[in-house]
Amino acid sequence: MSKKSVTAVVLCLALAATAALAASEHPGKESIEKNGYKGPETCEECHPGTAKAFLDTVHWKHASKVTNVDNLNPKLEYGMKNRIYVMCNGNDIVNNLKEIPKSPITGKSKFSGCNTCHPGNHLSDVGSTGPAAAAAVDCLVCHSTDYDFRQRKPFKNEKGEVVMGQDRSVKAALAIGKPTVKNCMVCHEAAGGGVIVKRGFTFTKDTDAHAAKGMVCVDCHKAKNHKMPSGHDPNNWANDGVFVSCADTSCHGVKPHKDADLNRHSAKIACQTCHIPRTGGAFAKDFTVWEQTADKFYEPTTLKKEANETTPVYAWYNGTVKNTPHFIGPKGSRKDGKSKITPFKIFQGRAYYNKQTGQLLSMDFAQPMSSGDTRAGVLSAAKTLGLKNPEKIAKEAVPGWQTVYFGSNHLVTKTKALYCANCHAPNGVLNFKDLGYSDKEIVKLTSPELYMEKVAKKQKEEW
Amino acid sequence: MKKAVSVMVLVAVAALSILCFGNVASAGEEIKMVGVITKIEIAGADAKTATATLKDNKTEQPVVITVNDDLTLDKFKDHRIVEGDEIRCKYEVIDGKNVSKLFRKTAGC
Ligand code: HEC
Ligand code: HEC
Ligand code: HEC
Ligand code: HEC
Ligand code: HEC
Ligand code: HEC
Ligand code: HEC
Repeated sequence: MSKKSVTAVVLCLALAATAALAASEHPGKESIEKNGYKGPETCEECHPGTAKAFLDTVHWKHASKVTNVDNLNPKLEYGMKNRIYVMCNGNDIVNNLKEIPKSPITGKSKFSGCNTCHPGNHLSDVGSTGPAAAAAVDCLVCHSTDYDFRQRKPFKNEKGEVVMGQDRSVKAALAIGKPTVKNCMVCHEAAGGGVIVKRGFTFTKDTDAHAAKGMVCVDCHKAKNHKMPSGHDPNNWANDGVFVSCADTSCHGVKPHKDADLNRHSAKIACQTCHIPRTGGAFAKDFTVWEQTADKFYEPTTLKKEANETTPVYAWYNGTVKNTPHFIGPKGSRKDGKSKITPFKIFQGRAYYNKQTGQLLSMDFAQPMSSGDTRAGVLSAAKTLGLKNPEKIAKEAVPGWQTVYFGSNHLVTKTKALYCANCHAPNGVLNFKDLGYSDKEIVKLTSPELYMEKVAKKQKEEW
Repeated sequence: MKKAVSVMVLVAVAALSILCFGNVASAGEEIKMVGVITKIEIAGADAKTATATLKDNKTEQPVVITVNDDLTLDKFKDHRIVEGDEIRCKYEVIDGKNVSKLFRKTAGC
């Protein structure tokens, strides 16, 4: 058997095995039916230590040490907990879940905060530790296929504390399995402030070759002990120290094509460049000007497109990240021997900068959401962070733009993958000059000479 | 001759890519609206269709939308979308019904 058919057989077997597992019932079902569901302690009976170990993951801490980004302190942890950028100009700390001030127009309030996308109950919040935290983990949001999302919303308890609800019903606990796409999309679909905002990320059979094959998130993001493998998106810093890549030997390897010409390109070109030719989602936001919505609350002004409606930018990327007040994106060059041409979803946002230091400021959304007053949001955040002279900072804050590059790692296509003439032509998708090629090289790289015979032959075969 | 062919290839490639990516806005008149859900009607866990009544933010009139796509139906079933949510909706009138082409919570940051 050829190597390829062996791989195919192994793959089929693996798929069959997963399917069988998914179809089989969770062995704990009977016990839960009998004894009820009391949260993680119920699971701990048969899966000891799981909840405690979960507290040490990015999904609980919204932060980790980060080693590949400029201008960070290697001893500290960074993530949604404390980062400041312009896709969402706050973080879990300054924009902690709370009731926002009443709207001066309607007199109504609502709950808002970044840390709603956390599997805790807010009393045990992002990064909390100890037995109370372990007992607060919402195992079912990722593991149940029968979760009632009416339960998963903020409310005030009798002490006036804001609690994030969970579905802890026996019904939900009886429908346990490996996480489905939906389980992950509970939070991932609306990252960045709404559905398909940050990444134009849909995962359906129409938009992704892997979804079309029935694969789910955790077929690639295979977690052990809840450490979720991630990639090197220049704007997804926090990671559990485990990584996944298309070229992993357990997935495709570096030579996945029959066509040697294509395989040769993977030395200099990331798989995503050819296989993810489109992106989508928001491409610009203005946090200094909020728009009133129908309910008389306010939202940052946002320009956006659907999935697959925008084109990426291409840059050399070696996995390290430039991080300055006006730019967060890939580092790399044609010459460093490590970089590949990689596609990015580009995003530009306007927010306030500290007049004294030039640093990007963060914003509490409660005040602008209520009244549209964005400087009041800057003031509140500056106070929460203990900055000196918060009033002065907010008053003098200067609007400015930041450009952010996001990795583009889903929406994979085979049939629409870039082929020779998509790049090697004067109107090709790559700007060879910006990528560092000389005029002489460009003449060669944009000539059909490179593929004339090949594409002509292919064309003949196809008709 | 060589040049003519290469131009043709280019044209073909260009045409192909337009074919591939150009069809986002499909035929038929799509109507866009933003409104708050006042009622969702769905028959059980196996339902293949549902209706949602939206109060149009602009006209304040109720509009009944028929929803057939699995993803949105699932969100009705597990209550990720509920009455009171504000929705950005695109629909097409087919046989007198307002059939949803896009049905998405507006909820932002
Ligand atoms: C009475 C024992 C028992 C209880 C209680 C129990 N489980 Fe399990 N569970 C098992 C066994 C046995 C397996 C299969 C072997 C394994 O993967 O450890 C399993 C497997 C799993 C799997 C892997 C399923 C798959 O298809 O890959 C998950 C996820 C899981 N359990 C979650 C939970 C959660 C969440 C709870 C609490 C609501 C829980 N379990 C409670 C016994 C139990
Ligand atoms: C609907 C769930 C959800 C909400 C609400 C949410 N986020 Fe996130 N956020 C995510 C997810 C999921 C990721 C990681 C995956 C990604 O980037 O696509 C993330 C990543 C981030 C990151 C990058 C973290 C890193 O490790 O580099 C920042 C910064 C961030 N969010 C800020 C915010 C801010 C500020 C808010 C509130 C205004 C917010 N988020 C609200 C889901 C959410
Ligand atoms: C953020 C989502 C998420 C949450 C919350 C979560 N899990 Fe998991 N869990 C996963 C993923 C992903 C896997 C790996 C699935 C795979 O690769 O097949 C997993 C796997 C498991 C397994 C299988 C064995 C293993 O460790 O790989 C068990 C048992 C389990 N989880 C129990 C729990 C319990 C108990 C809780 C609550 C304390 C919990 N999970 C909370 C996502 C989650
Ligand atoms: C309760 C909300 C929630 C759920 C459910 C959830 N995530 Fe996340 N996820 C987040 C947030 C928030 C972040 C960003 C944290 C940060 O960067 O600070 C994140 C980050 C990630 C990352 C990058 C960081 C890392 O941990 O390596 C991956 C990969 C990921 N999630 C995959 C998944 C998968 C797969 C599932 C389904 C099993 C899932 N997530 C379910 C909220 C969630
Ligand atoms: C076919 C495999 C595959 C599937 C299926 C898949 N991912 Fe990924 N994902 C990847 C790879 C590979 C990367 C990292 C690539 C890199 O940075 O080199 C990644 C990166 C990510 C990241 C980091 C941020 C980013 O976008 O780069 C998040 C978060 C994530 N995936 C979540 C998900 C969720 C949620 C699902 C299911 C809806 C999912 N993934 C399905 C392969 C997959
Ligand atoms: C220069 C562009 C290019 C690069 C780089 C590239 N691919 Fe491809 N790939 C293609 C094209 C075009 C096809 C479709 C070929 C066809 O239909 O015969 C394809 C097909 C495939 C297929 C399907 C093979 C089959 O026989 O059905 C897989 C799997 C694949 N690529 C994976 C990868 C991975 C993994 C990488 C990175 C290591 C990668 N590709 C890099 C252009 C590229
Ligand atoms: C994603 C864009 C892209 C696609 C698609 C692509 N190439 Fe390339 N190709 C490049 C880039 C960039 C280089 C230069 C790589 C380097 O710096 O070594 C290159 C280099 C080459 C070279 C070497 C040129 C030289 O002498 O230096 C040949 C030959 C070539 N490509 C042929 C092809 C053929 C044939 C196809 C279709 C099967 C193809 N390319 C598809 C981007 C692409």
